[in-house]
Amino acid sequence: MPTESGAAVTADSVLRPLPRPRVATRPGPATAPPEAHAVADASDGGARIAAIVIAAAWHLAIALPAVLRAGPGMAFPAVVAVGWLVTALIGVWAGVLLLRGELPPARSLAAALLVVDAAVVAGAGERFLFSTANWVWGGLAWFFLLALWRRPVRWLLVMLAAHGAIAVTAVVLYGATASADLSRATMYVYGTSTLPAAVFVGAAALTAQARARAATAAAALAVAAEREAAERARTERQERLALVSGTAEEVLAELASGDADPADPAVRRRAVLAAARLRRLIAESDDVPDALLDALRAAADLAERNGLPIDLVAVGTPPELPVEIRRGLADPLTAGLAAAEGWARLTVVAGPDEVVVSLVTPDHDGPDETTTGGGGPVEHLHERDGEIRWTQTRWRRT
Amino acid sequence: MDADPLAADVNAGWPIGVAIVDDHPVVIDGVRAWLAGEPRLRVVATGDDPDEVLRAAPDAEVVLLDLRLHGRMVLDKLAELSAAGRRVVVYSEHSDPPTMLAALDAGAVAFLAKHEGREHCVGTVLAAAQDRPYVPPALAGAMVGDARPDRPALSDKEREALLLWFQSMSKASVARRMQISEHTVKQYVDRARIKYTRAGRPAATKAALLARAIEDGLVRPEDIGIYRSQASADRPTP
Repeated sequence: MPTESGAAVTADSVLRPLPRPRVATRPGPATAPPEAHAVADASDGGARIAAIVIAAAWHLAIALPAVLRAGPGMAFPAVVAVGWLVTALIGVWAGVLLLRGELPPARSLAAALLVVDAAVVAGAGERFLFSTANWVWGGLAWFFLLALWRRPVRWLLVMLAAHGAIAVTAVVLYGATASADLSRATMYVYGTSTLPAAVFVGAAALTAQARARAATAAAALAVAAEREAAERARTERQERLALVSGTAEEVLAELASGDADPADPAVRRRAVLAAARLRRLIAESDDVPDALLDALRAAADLAERNGLPIDLVAVGTPPELPVEIRRGLADPLTAGLAAAEGWARLTVVAGPDEVVVSLVTPDHDGPDETTTGGGGPVEHLHERDGEIRWTQTRWRRT
Repeated sequence: MDADPLAADVNAGWPIGVAIVDDHPVVIDGVRAWLAGEPRLRVVATGDDPDEVLRAAPDAEVVLLDLRLHGRMVLDKLAELSAAGRRVVVYSEHSDPPTMLAALDAGAVAFLAKHEGREHCVGTVLAAAQDRPYVPPALAGAMVGDARPDRPALSDKEREALLLWFQSMSKASVARRMQISEHTVKQYVDRARIKYTRAGRPAATKAALLARAIEDGLVRPEDIGIYRSQASADRPTP
């Protein structure tokens, strides 16, 4: 029987499977990832182009000829013409922004369009109230669409209501209150509002649906990535276990065959190293590798390769920590490990609000360059008492 | 060095009978070798089946039980033995904190990680035989990292002592760090352990630990939320 429990542990552990990994419980993304926005942008691209084409066609092919035909017959032809021009400029501007994937400033454009609306109705005069020369009735709603793209639907409904109110006010002011005129006005307002509203609502629904689908896809992707990381960690662990088991078996076989003498310090050291490595592997129970533990494990592996038997014991799961805190916790210990002689014990005790990492090694006469660090969110203590060198870093959520 | 100082002045009933239950003969031999150096302990039976071992040695005062027998965790068996008043020291290579805490909940008097065996086995068994707490570093780590919502409420000093003991494995170093005596360090650690007798299902072994701690003046009944008279304590008669 070797004097160190390591060999017995080794024989046991090799025969037994590693503990089953826990099911990943990290929370999924709280908000839709950027990919979801990209998908949403792409999905309503067709509807944007359609709206721009309809607005341009109406403005050029229907409104412009009618205005030119009516010409000086209107009450204030210049006002109507300027209105047409302003609307055309707004349309070009909003259209370019929309094609680039940006949204135009909705409020100011909406206000400008309503001013144009009222001005053109007044400028066309009573005679052209119900004709195509009063082009705002039929065509302006499509420009509302461009200005309010991707804004809440109720904004468009408010605009259309204002548009209808301007028309009704004009009808009343011009005294066209005969029932035929009123029903004609209602029909005009209704007819010219419903189609843009339908396009607008349809595009919004499509976008919402596409965004939800994209968010679902992104969440599924994140879960898959996490599973893959866990799978990879597991595979790596199995590989390392196979490797470590090999070296442990070698020592055991030599001991059993009598080729190695348990009293030989070199043999004992090999047994201790193999046992420490196995213990560390068995203690790894985190599925999705934690960055802090990963860093400490890497440092431990490095120190061990230089022949230092090292125990790494972690209790609890560290919360997600910013890089500088993680480094503040790990770096002093990594430095301490480099100077360690004999053996080392590295421990991590982690909770959601506190993480304490500690390194204990036997004290020796060698230089001790580690200093006690202050400041920052990580408290750092280092001391040597003739028996041990003790480095401890501690982070507390404030 | 960490053996209970009180152990020396209790001499009645030596040597203490110890039963070892493990399914690996090589481990039984190893544990036997650890205990052989201690004249106050005597191994009275060994085997891989708890029932058979205890039939062979019904008077064994302490049972050293490997938590995993023939590929199965025997927490239920542990609970059964503890409920019956058997002082069970669990030792296992499965020293992950949840398993250790589950063993305490089931009524284990102490938990020894296998790699701590050489240093702590004798001390643990001696303490267990007297219903006194013994907390090796790995168990201290499990207790200080306990995040279960129904965990016992430990004081700041108790937590710090557990943490530093887990980190350094040297009570002398903990004492220097906390600027208290080694004896006081041990008191903090043991008091934390006694609070765990209130976690999980009641067991005769837990009542015995608690009663002895009160008798030793380690805790007061009101410290751990017991207000009833100790006259009614279900402590087994020695």
